[in-house]
Amino acid sequence: MLIPHPLLGLRDSQEFTYLGDAALMNRPDPATPDAEAVFCDYVFLRDNPAGVHRELWFHEQGDRSWLVVTRDTTTHEILGAELASDVKGAAK
Amino acid sequence: MIDLVTDLTPICALGGTVARIETFGGLTITEHSDLGLASLALRKGQSAPQPFGLTLPDVGQAVSKDSYGAFWTGRDQWMIEGQGQGAIDFAAAVRAEAPGVTVTEQTDGFTAFEIASAQGAAPIEALMRKLVNIDPKALGAGQTTRTGLEHMTVFLIRRADDRLVVIGMRTLAGSLWHALAVAARRLED
Amino acid sequence: MTRLTGGLVDRSKPLNFTFNGKSFKGFEGDTLASALLANGVQLMGRSFKYHRPRGVFAAGSEEPNAMVELRTGARQEPNTRATVTELFDGLTARSQNHMGPLERDLLAVNDVLSPFFAAGFYYKTFMWPKAFWEKLYEPAIRKAAGLGALSMLPDPDDYDKGFLHCDLLVVGGGAAGLSAALTAGRAGAEVVLADEDFALGGRLLMESDLLDEAEATAWIAAVKAELESLPNVRIMTRTTVFGVYDHGIFGAVERVSDHLPTPGDNVRQTLWRITAKRTVLAAGATERHIPFADNDRPGVMLAGAMRAYANRWAASPVKQDSDAIAIFTNGDDGHRTAMDLMAKGAKVLGVIDARADAKAFGDYELFAGATVTGTKGRLGLSAIEITRGGQSQWHSVGALGVAGGWNPNVHLSSHHRGRPVWDERLLAFVPSPDGPKGLIPAGAAAGKGGTAEALQDGMAAAIRALAELEITAAEIPLPKAENASAEQAAFWHVPGAKRAWVDFQNDVTVKDIALAHKENMKPVEHLKRWTTLGMATDQGKTSNISALAVMAELTGKSIPETGTTIFRPPYTGVSLSVLGGGDTGPLFRPRRLTPTHYWAEAQGAEFVEVGQWMRAQYFPQKGETTWRETVDREVLAVRSGVGLCDVTTLGKVDVQGADAGEFLNRIYSNMMGTLKVGKVRYGLMLREDGHAYDDGTCARLGEDHYVVTTTTANAGLVYRQMEFAHQCLWPELDVQLISTTDAWAQIAVAGPKSRELLSRIVDEFDMSNEAFPFMGCAELTICGGLRARLFRISFSGELAYEVAVPARFGQALMERLMEKGADLGVTPYGTEALGVLRIEKGHAAGAELNGQTTAQMLGLGKMVSAKKDSIGAVMSRREGLAADTRRLVGFKSMEPQTQAMAGSHLFTEGAAQTMDTDQGWLTSSCYSPHLESYIALGFLENGDTRLGEVLVAANPLEGQAVKVEVVSAHFVDPEGGRLRD
Repeated sequence: MLIPHPLLGLRDSQEFTYLGDAALMNRPDPATPDAEAVFCDYVFLRDNPAGVHRELWFHEQGDRSWLVVTRDTTTHEILGAELASDVKGAAK
Repeated sequence: MIDLVTDLTPICALGGTVARIETFGGLTITEHSDLGLASLALRKGQSAPQPFGLTLPDVGQAVSKDSYGAFWTGRDQWMIEGQGQGAIDFAAAVRAEAPGVTVTEQTDGFTAFEIASAQGAAPIEALMRKLVNIDPKALGAGQTTRTGLEHMTVFLIRRADDRLVVIGMRTLAGSLWHALAVAARRLED
Repeated sequence: MTRLTGGLVDRSKPLNFTFNGKSFKGFEGDTLASALLANGVQLMGRSFKYHRPRGVFAAGSEEPNAMVELRTGARQEPNTRATVTELFDGLTARSQNHMGPLERDLLAVNDVLSPFFAAGFYYKTFMWPKAFWEKLYEPAIRKAAGLGALSMLPDPDDYDKGFLHCDLLVVGGGAAGLSAALTAGRAGAEVVLADEDFALGGRLLMESDLLDEAEATAWIAAVKAELESLPNVRIMTRTTVFGVYDHGIFGAVERVSDHLPTPGDNVRQTLWRITAKRTVLAAGATERHIPFADNDRPGVMLAGAMRAYANRWAASPVKQDSDAIAIFTNGDDGHRTAMDLMAKGAKVLGVIDARADAKAFGDYELFAGATVTGTKGRLGLSAIEITRGGQSQWHSVGALGVAGGWNPNVHLSSHHRGRPVWDERLLAFVPSPDGPKGLIPAGAAAGKGGTAEALQDGMAAAIRALAELEITAAEIPLPKAENASAEQAAFWHVPGAKRAWVDFQNDVTVKDIALAHKENMKPVEHLKRWTTLGMATDQGKTSNISALAVMAELTGKSIPETGTTIFRPPYTGVSLSVLGGGDTGPLFRPRRLTPTHYWAEAQGAEFVEVGQWMRAQYFPQKGETTWRETVDREVLAVRSGVGLCDVTTLGKVDVQGADAGEFLNRIYSNMMGTLKVGKVRYGLMLREDGHAYDDGTCARLGEDHYVVTTTTANAGLVYRQMEFAHQCLWPELDVQLISTTDAWAQIAVAGPKSRELLSRIVDEFDMSNEAFPFMGCAELTICGGLRARLFRISFSGELAYEVAVPARFGQALMERLMEKGADLGVTPYGTEALGVLRIEKGHAAGAELNGQTTAQMLGLGKMVSAKKDSIGAVMSRREGLAADTRRLVGFKSMEPQTQAMAGSHLFTEGAAQTMDTDQGWLTSSCYSPHLESYIALGFLENGDTRLGEVLVAANPLEGQAVKVEVVSAHFVDPEGGRLRD
């Protein structure tokens, strides 16, 4: 696959390490009373859709940026890629 | 600048007391043992400094001025190069030029192999096609990238059409040299 | 000899070769198959299952029959298609899959037994008794039914790989491919043109068609010359594009030296990974046959192949020139073969055309509305039975060409599951419109097989592809050409009671398909697996569509309703050697060498691979006869004097920034932000699920500058995880991370005399316990000005330091320490002694931090700070983990010289050894020269309250049970006085 790196353009997926569901970026608030249950979901429950999925890729043999890649898991069509720090920054 | 005054004798990354150099047809590979390297990263809200008068380059670019250079390694991150500065505390020299930014000594973290072609761009591009999944046409003079080479991570800097620098981890120097030399030798055939 | 006139072989370059030990002559430009045919050899092998005599069937990579063992010795290669094996001087080949000589194969008895070997035979027969399959049935079947044999010797050749990037990849160098490549090349696009053949031209080489009223070779040569002159075009012959991968990535194998006796200094093959923005699939078409009774005798072949052998290789398909040739066809294409053969002076009996209204193209006998219903000839065709209107008559012939129509080579277009589409006019499947993105089929591969239309289509495809890339390509002047008539009838097989082969390679007949139908194996996927149709090296290139047609007839459905098989990579077989590629042995993967590697080598050290690292395992000295003797000496030297160990392999991550302390608080379970400058703290990292992840030290070198160390094994993973935490969780923190593992050579100086030794090399640095106490760190200079870092940390439990210098000085520093410490008995030690020392001290390492243990189990529960959040903190408190009562403790063998192996499980003495009574397990075990006893670490239920208890460490794998006493994990200096003084 070719990953459209937002800074570097198309890069072969062999340069990347795959992590999975981008929901891992949404680490829960540890201070809430139900933190343990919420963390349990965060750690163990992942969406694994047949279709469009937002997932984390690490450009390990590149600029070492974490990307959020939107990919159709049935066709491998890639609909977009953003720097994870930008995604996280925009959410704040 | 703080020279490393010591009576200890350093060795090159490939283990020799002098740098290795070998010619394969039109390609010469040289172990570049006196290249000073320091990483430079901006802190939050800082604007890019101009160490040694260098304008820190944009994504995928490398610049040089006199015996200094800089190449892009990540967002708000560069590697600063000092030709012939391998024996000094190069990070301290960079820090003096760019106070306040994050600087880390990297001279000994890497090994640089300079590949020069006596026959123009073609042998350099042929070598790249055997080693890295990077389009040589998209890595012209003054461009840089980081990629995988035989399962090792390397920086590539195309200093000129006929000159390519491969910078890899120092502890992998032997394996990296082997990979480059085998590919270069095969191009000779 | 049955060599015809003309052709593209170089008669000035004769080549000698042997087949089954017999010597023959061919010419440069021949394939093994064409040379054998030209020598009158029809019999080339035996079939897979029934061991029927077989001859060459095709003229390209689709060949199902003519497979040979090529070369001898370590280079012997089985299942090599004679049709694509370029002849070279000295070539040796042998036929395969027979017992005894090819002409008298003892296993031909299988053919007599064929009623027992029908479709699904293996599934039905060898299912019972189950145990017999592995021991009896499978070995026997494998021996009898099979292909060629491996040499069982290591491959002596080198393989290579490479990467190409282009605007346009053109797969196939025939009429369409050449016109596409020339169009794109002239437009300045980066073009890669790949063809599996050794010559460009594709089918143009095989036909007698004229281009611009001259032989096609003139046009091919002109195009080739122009393409070669264009720096933006790369021509790759002998290169098979075997697979399509996502986003325009293709796999291709270039057979660099397969046409030579040996590769010499060159590589044998190169695996190319091609990244193409657009692709023109000009892979041509493959002819199919028409199954009829006994259609598998040597001498029966595809009519298009017969034409190719005659036109390109000047090879006649008959054993002697006086033998007649017949053509059996369902369309006009068969007549072309007859015309071309006659033009070459071959003796043509006539054309049997299944169509009642067929017309002759020339002066030969036409059997219109007729079929072939039988053949004779034991080892080669001698006669065929022609049946017309119920009347049958035998005719002597030496060869029969069968023309059943052409199937576009859609393979690559379906590698992404695009289903080929039935074209009723062409009576063939054409590429799916939902093929891989950016791949445009053209020419015969798109069902446009006429020469003129293929030339036009290739050009149009290139223009269209480049337009999508915003590259304007102009039309090129195409040579004047014609489209041969492709009229044909939907005539798929000749019905009859005798066996009619559909798939030659797997011995699948029309009857087998009928049986599969009867047994309800109707979907094509089931048909394939029940009959093995379309499997093995040719993947049914000549048989799939005929089989579908037969099944369609049986089910009463149309062919497209019956289905179609799609294809997976590879298009043709790819050797594992080229996929493995590159280096073998010690060069198989990159090796990381420590800064003192060459020094250790000179000391005669034994090395051990730790991930990519080569680490000194121990340093044998003269007179030492066992590794234990060496390791015991090294351990005792550290405990009594001073030892040196290269610990550069520990991961080092430089952490800087205004929020560095806060960041470290979040990734370590314990508090790091409060660490004072000039101090080191032991740190524990958890995974977010609450389990222990990694440990190491964290040193604060400056107000906003820390250095984190990780275990050797997890260095890369922890660095990645830190980047994740920084970029994906808390990008708002001002933190900069960078690895410095390689930059610093780090040497552990351990033992009661370590301070004494180090004080001899530091430059004016106060080494006293007061000035530089346990867990101190400093930046200083040593050896007359060399900048260094000093950490007072201990893995051994002794007074110890780690000293770091720029990596290039690592070796010199080691030598200096050895020299300065000679009078102190300074001793280098390796990873074995390092392991013994840490077990004696009760320090957890990889075996204890294995991802299944918690901070509490490790006795580090207090390190999970309750005052702050950190990765894994919340989950570490969940009931299942918090309630775990297993604890890390030490164990001492009751019989000191008996080892309890790591991995042993712990039981109460006398108790049954079951899961229910399991008390825990041992993680690490070694001989302690300090205690003169075997010792171990392990996890034991409530271990911390059971000191003094005697348990059994059971290792049922080896029938071993060792009595051990539960002791503190800190075998040495449990109060920790030594490392603090």
